[in-house]
Amino acid sequence: MEAVIFSIFNGLLYGMLLFMLSSGLTLIFSMMGILNFAHAAFFMLGAYFAYYLTGGIAAVLAGLFGGAGGELIGFLIALVAGPLLVGVIGALVQRYGLRFVHRFGHVAELLFTFGLFLLIEELVQMFFGKVPKNYKTPELLDFAAFSGGGLDYNFYRLFMLVVAIGIFVGLFLMMTRTRFGLIIRAALTHPHTTAQLGHDVPKVFMWTFGAGCALAGLAGVLGGSVLGTEPAMAVQLGPIVFVVIVIGGLGSLEGALIASLFIGVLNDLSISMDIKLTGFFESLGVDVVGAEGVMQDLVNLSSAKLAPVLPYILLVLVLIFRPRGLLGQRDV
Amino acid sequence: MARSATTTATASETRNGGLVIAFLRRYSVWLIFVAVAIVLPWILPGGAARTVMSQIGVAIIFALAYNMLLGQGGMLSFGHAIYFGLAGFCIVHLIQAVQDDELIAIPIWIMPLIGGLVGLFFGCLVGYVSTRRAGTIFAMISLGFGEMVSAMVLVVVSFFGGEEGIQTDRAYGTDLFGLIDWTKDIHVYYLITIWAFVAVAAMYAITKTPLGRISNAARDNPERVAFVGYNTQRVRWAVFTLSGFFAGVAGALHSISFEQAGFEMVNVERSGAVLFMAYIGGVGLFAGPVIGAVLITALEKLITDVSHAWPLYLGLFFMVVVMFSPGGIAGVLGLHERIWKVDWRILGRLTKPYLRAAGATLFAAIGAVCVVELTHTLTNEEVRTTEMKLFWMATDAASVWAWLAALAILGGGIWLCRLTYPGARESYDNAIKTATDRALGK
Amino acid sequence: MTLALEMTDVRKSFGPTEIIRGLNLAVEQGERHAVIGPNGAGKSTLFNLISGRYNVSAGSIRLRGEEVANLAPHEINRKGLARSFQVTNIFPRMSVFENVRCGHLWAAGEKYSFWHSVNKRGRITREVEELLERTGLLAKRDFPAALLPYADQRALELAITLASGADVLLLDEPTAGMSHSETEQAVALIKRVTEGKTLVVVEHDMGVVFDIADRISVLVYGEIIATDVPGKIRKNQRVQEAYLGEAA
Repeated sequence: MEAVIFSIFNGLLYGMLLFMLSSGLTLIFSMMGILNFAHAAFFMLGAYFAYYLTGGIAAVLAGLFGGAGGELIGFLIALVAGPLLVGVIGALVQRYGLRFVHRFGHVAELLFTFGLFLLIEELVQMFFGKVPKNYKTPELLDFAAFSGGGLDYNFYRLFMLVVAIGIFVGLFLMMTRTRFGLIIRAALTHPHTTAQLGHDVPKVFMWTFGAGCALAGLAGVLGGSVLGTEPAMAVQLGPIVFVVIVIGGLGSLEGALIASLFIGVLNDLSISMDIKLTGFFESLGVDVVGAEGVMQDLVNLSSAKLAPVLPYILLVLVLIFRPRGLLGQRDV
Repeated sequence: MARSATTTATASETRNGGLVIAFLRRYSVWLIFVAVAIVLPWILPGGAARTVMSQIGVAIIFALAYNMLLGQGGMLSFGHAIYFGLAGFCIVHLIQAVQDDELIAIPIWIMPLIGGLVGLFFGCLVGYVSTRRAGTIFAMISLGFGEMVSAMVLVVVSFFGGEEGIQTDRAYGTDLFGLIDWTKDIHVYYLITIWAFVAVAAMYAITKTPLGRISNAARDNPERVAFVGYNTQRVRWAVFTLSGFFAGVAGALHSISFEQAGFEMVNVERSGAVLFMAYIGGVGLFAGPVIGAVLITALEKLITDVSHAWPLYLGLFFMVVVMFSPGGIAGVLGLHERIWKVDWRILGRLTKPYLRAAGATLFAAIGAVCVVELTHTLTNEEVRTTEMKLFWMATDAASVWAWLAALAILGGGIWLCRLTYPGARESYDNAIKTATDRALGK
Repeated sequence: MTLALEMTDVRKSFGPTEIIRGLNLAVEQGERHAVIGPNGAGKSTLFNLISGRYNVSAGSIRLRGEEVANLAPHEINRKGLARSFQVTNIFPRMSVFENVRCGHLWAAGEKYSFWHSVNKRGRITREVEELLERTGLLAKRDFPAALLPYADQRALELAITLASGADVLLLDEPTAGMSHSETEQAVALIKRVTEGKTLVVVEHDMGVVFDIADRISVLVYGEIIATDVPGKIRKNQRVQEAYLGEAA
């Protein structure tokens, strides 16, 4: 039982990371109608930036003062500087790239972000190498906050969870309570009217895109040390974020939250509980022991092996039975 | 073409002669390609060249199949490789089954048809679900299916061979009274060529059918199509299924050619590659993806021989096309159609300004290549030395002079582009005006 | 004789706002029926409900006695109702001929066939050409539709609507944006080509309305407040109030 709770905790954490990514994506999509294919690439950039920033600052400070405090300070600085850097890059990409391609239509915009995704991945591989980086959680944060049922709950992971929740609350408040959020929501459905009211809609778009990318970068800074920092991370996580968006319903932050958490928990539970499908096949009357070839593979399937595929199976089911998604509003 | 005015010729003779000439004129493009395809292996001999040519043949079929979706149907898919790959896997198993005497000897040249049926089957299945949505969501769904199949391929190892894939041997006996020997690459090349022509002709013919026309209409104005009695989802589903068929044909030919199938036949990289070919070639014209397939396959072979940075170059090339020429190469050619239809000699005025612009572009491209290659050598962790060969010249990637030179060429190239492009643009505008004026009879 | 189109207590809400509030409309077969009303009364919503673009919140819509409310647009079209659009809705990349042919394909029984060329169907070609001639577009048959002058695009819009072979036609502001002479020609064209068909027209131009219509319905705030022959509508007090306010 304790193992289940532990898995759920980790699953929620993974889900919150997914939500950080999908919320930025939803923000951009709601605002500008663009599905930013390169979103996971900004996530990757955040992780890499954090790695180099943390490492660099830690080295400098360790040289000056010694001790492990440098690492923590480096991490905290990276926590702020990383997303900012990624956000600025995102804003520039929007200003000089996306805005330019906008005139060619939706397909061109999507293809631009697709090409950008591949480009960033190639550049990261070229500049930072193909080998995964040893991006570790800072030592001072890497301890057990408390124990539940014999399993240690890591402080860093709790910290991540708190930050992610804070982001959601902040976003929600900003969108519903502040004037800025009001302008954004107005620009979402009526950009021309909003422009005529004197608001610089192109600038709003640029900063929104930047903010979305910054969110992705933040997810990278936080999650890079947990999920692993390597060029393939964007390709692995990217499609899952899109699945989250489609299942949650395009344009819905709440839907993205629910879908993210669900997929996160599903992922961790299926790996840790590793439910074997042999029992299921036995009940169908299949000869489990003597199975050969393809049947052998199918019969030996377990939830852990299926874990990477589960989000996509979920996607197909949702598409068949509820194409709009859970809480979808905007129709594309 | 002047007809010989022979008074002694019988009426039927001149009529038949006229028919032949008309046939030649109408199908001239096709006939030229047939001739080139037949003759090519003799012009460029060698196993490597033949492999590339076979790859080009396969790529042409795949890219055109993809364009049934994108260019003609308006559906952007990031997961089309699954029909290509699944067909390939099935064909390898089939061939192996024949080899193991588990199956009657199906001739190799029928295999692509079977591959097509596999593609059709999965296209129909997946298409039914995917075509319920359009636009961006459709694209995301296609990506989802692509990832799902990619992941399943690695899980069900017995059928798909895991990371190594599965292999077979296509040479079982000889076909057609001993004339065809499948161990010979050249025979496989001609198999691919023949199938390519059949497939291309079929896909071209489909564009002229009611389904093809309505598919085009639905791409441009789906709402209107509904209001003239068509269920647009059914239209998209039908096109999707047919597109899967031809992708399957390509996949089968690929597997026959390489005698293997692996997960790289279904993954997102493969889907992306065909997207690039179709888009860079130009989605608006039927021949666009053909251009893209030939160009990219050939370039890939040439560049991967001398550089590690091919994916980067391809990505950059793609971005340039997306940003500056969304119609692709065929699109650029199409822009000049109005001119040459009126009087092809007007195009002559464009030669000089275009050549200047092309030269500037080439200069800038060389500069870009230099920068990329230098960077690549410097950042490459696998190679210890910074020495490299750049355009047949030995250079040291760490030397300041090399960098200065590269940046100077790049900068100079960009400056030259800014200098020459307005002139090219202007001469194009003039040519269009001349052509329009002449067409209106001024 | 069954009514061509009958709407009974139709309601449509978008969220909390009720746009169509209990609308009743009866159009006879072969009739030319105009719908007029002040801006914002719900005329486009009305057409969108009939043609299947929107679902009704309540009420029934019958086409020749058959219930069609909440059916998909293509299903309604196949039952014999076609509509034109206020904002020209053609296939810009195709030629005029191809535009009309696309409009005609389903009605001609072609469906989803992909095994024969569409050019080989001589009967379809003839039928399309005939339609082009009736709408005065035959001379421009190979023009790219996007390059047509505005009045011709509206004629093409009409031709596509007719091509589906429907005999109940909804025309949404067919003369919108036209000059006086263009309007005259358009009206003559409409009268000519819709001979024998049932016509429901939304229009702002009163001259056109009184010229074409056999009967007029007045739509105000989501309800039809009056349906009558043009002469009587002109004198109807409620109508005058709706258009001109109390001081009529």
